[in-house]
Amino acid sequence: MKNIMIVLISLILTGSVFPDELNVVTTYPYIASIVEQIGKDKVNVFALANGEWDPHTIIPKPSFIAKLRKADILILNGAQLEIGWLPPLMRQANNSKIQVGTPGILDLSKYVELIEVPTAISRAQGDVHPDGNPHFHLDFKNIPKISTAIAHKLLEIDPVNKATYEQNNNAFLEKFYQKEKEWTAALEKLRGTKVIEYHKIYDYLLQRVGFQLVGTIEPVPGISPTSRHIESLEKIISSNDVKYILQDVYHPDDASKYLSSKHKIKMIIIPHDIGSVSNTNNIFEFFDEIVRRLIDD
Amino acid sequence: MNKLPFILIALSILINVNLPAQTEQQSGDNPFSQSKFVPDISFILDVSYLYRDIKNDDYNLFEVPGLIHSTLEESAHGHEHAEMNARSGFNLNYGELVVASTVDPYFDLFGIFHLSSEGFGIEEGYFLTRCLPLGFQIKGGKFLSSFGRINEQHAHYWAFANMPLVYKSFFGSHGLSEIGMQINWVAPTDFYLMFGSEILQGNNEVSFGADGFQDLSGSIKVSSSDAPNLYTGFMRTSIDVDNLTVLAGISGAFGKSRLNHGIDTDAPDGHAAYEDAKILNANLTLKYIIESYRDITFQTEFLNKITKGDLYYKDSIGTTMKGDISKDQSGLYSQLVYKFSQYWRIGFRYDLLMKNEIVRNSSTLDLPDFMPQLSSMIEYNPTEFSRIRLQYNHDRTKYFEDNLKINNEILLQINLAIGAHGAHSF
Repeated sequence: MKNIMIVLISLILTGSVFPDELNVVTTYPYIASIVEQIGKDKVNVFALANGEWDPHTIIPKPSFIAKLRKADILILNGAQLEIGWLPPLMRQANNSKIQVGTPGILDLSKYVELIEVPTAISRAQGDVHPDGNPHFHLDFKNIPKISTAIAHKLLEIDPVNKATYEQNNNAFLEKFYQKEKEWTAALEKLRGTKVIEYHKIYDYLLQRVGFQLVGTIEPVPGISPTSRHIESLEKIISSNDVKYILQDVYHPDDASKYLSSKHKIKMIIIPHDIGSVSNTNNIFEFFDEIVRRLIDD
Repeated sequence: MNKLPFILIALSILINVNLPAQTEQQSGDNPFSQSKFVPDISFILDVSYLYRDIKNDDYNLFEVPGLIHSTLEESAHGHEHAEMNARSGFNLNYGELVVASTVDPYFDLFGIFHLSSEGFGIEEGYFLTRCLPLGFQIKGGKFLSSFGRINEQHAHYWAFANMPLVYKSFFGSHGLSEIGMQINWVAPTDFYLMFGSEILQGNNEVSFGADGFQDLSGSIKVSSSDAPNLYTGFMRTSIDVDNLTVLAGISGAFGKSRLNHGIDTDAPDGHAAYEDAKILNANLTLKYIIESYRDITFQTEFLNKITKGDLYYKDSIGTTMKGDISKDQSGLYSQLVYKFSQYWRIGFRYDLLMKNEIVRNSSTLDLPDFMPQLSSMIEYNPTEFSRIRLQYNHDRTKYFEDNLKINNEILLQINLAIGAHGAHSF
């Protein structure tokens, strides 16, 4: 009886019902999908944010604290994308394994090259990211860097399964490079196409495809469009052959729809994360869907 | 001769240890530059314009019977008041300076300073541990107690311009802000479950007190507390059901109440009380997320205060008398806030002081026990750093000489934040 009590109490205190599985919490669904590919049955992964929401402003539900409390590893996008919602959750989780500066935390932005790093910073320019544009996962060429960083983190925390993580990452990379060739080939015909986007969320994708960005619906990041700004966009449209307006799922689309119908420009909804739209259940389907939506003319 | 390799290894270690310190000098002219260690600093300003259909001078004489004394009486008792939205016309509610950073691998430190026209105050100054095992955390210093739901939130995070009436009645306009220690534990469950407890000095202007008192003649004397005087306990839990988040909590504050309202002066109505006091709280928050920028939040809290102890008062010739007093008072607020776009929110709040039983020397005082206030607000948040709010209050809680004085208020509030300001919790 005494032994049962000790087991029960230690179970309650540590929560390790399945001590073999590594608890990995990620901020966004795309990270969770890559972790699943690398960790497979060795990890138990949970993404805090929902792919339908604005990644900058996630409502910090108390249930996230419970997930972070039990996390062995926390993997975040970084580049200050989570600054508006994650820090209080981390403080409230009372988990010493995932504090900033401990090995249990992985900041993916450190493994990729950030673009649009501002030289002067003022909030008069809207919601600026001082480290650069944080939406780097939309360039599929960054995914192998991310998966390798994740594999290294998993094997660092869980060295027993080192071989498995390396093997899974190699298999993932092989498949990904294959898909990458297909996507690159399919998108080749779009090189040089002029586009407008709502928020500067697709810039890494635009760079990869070779799109030319001629304007954003937002006058500055985080600020909704004014009629004066829409007028200035119409001037840009009249002097440029703009082919697409790229709209995300969480911003209102009335301005995009207005410009689309008035100037006969196709509005395409591009998923910004897994789960934004249907048929994006994993990282492969996610890019498949983006490519399909772009080339489907 | 055998020792040579070891000496070489030791030397190489020494060199390797020393080298980076010499080569990794900071760029710039100052080799001792610490600019990278500057903590997060932010400044928040809150100003309002208030219209009230009662003159300021009259309003100051009003009281919430049995709960809130008139401002005039309060100031006669020497209370420092920097109350928000207090007067018709412009109000500088506060300027709040926040400094926060990680101390070392073991602690985080927060300093929140309130600058009002009446002075500079340490609103909060506390540390949090970063490394305790098994889901524990200790907080220490001066902080807003985790009692209840809204108490630990700062005013700029509230959905309305003023504090719920029941909080103001039981804790005064600063809430339960205390010096002490807190320990909390998050359970390793799949749903959120947290328990916590606090040991606090217990110096609240309304409900708890650590400082003793004596009357002018010295015939009665209640000594000051030599130890922490107030204990709290709280529990919170939360589950998600699809897009609905439910957060529920209960808490209690238990302490000694030493309140001196002029027993040490020659004022004829000077009195004081020394009581056991407990305040219990139950709260519930429901948030339904419609989509990224649209959600509906219902939040309600119920508080009950029970005290029992000695009352000291003066008889007709000014002699201090000792009697007994007990209180059983309750109140609640319920609010519904609808965020209908990225930038806009509207909300309604119903405040009610619903039980007001004071027994003094075995006779029950005749006090109103149904005192409601209705508030509504509309808010525009151009960015997460600025907020403009229009609020209307219909207040049926203020009395003057036992007569209800219905009070209508309209206020326009602006709240701005600059610098590196941390994110907020749920």
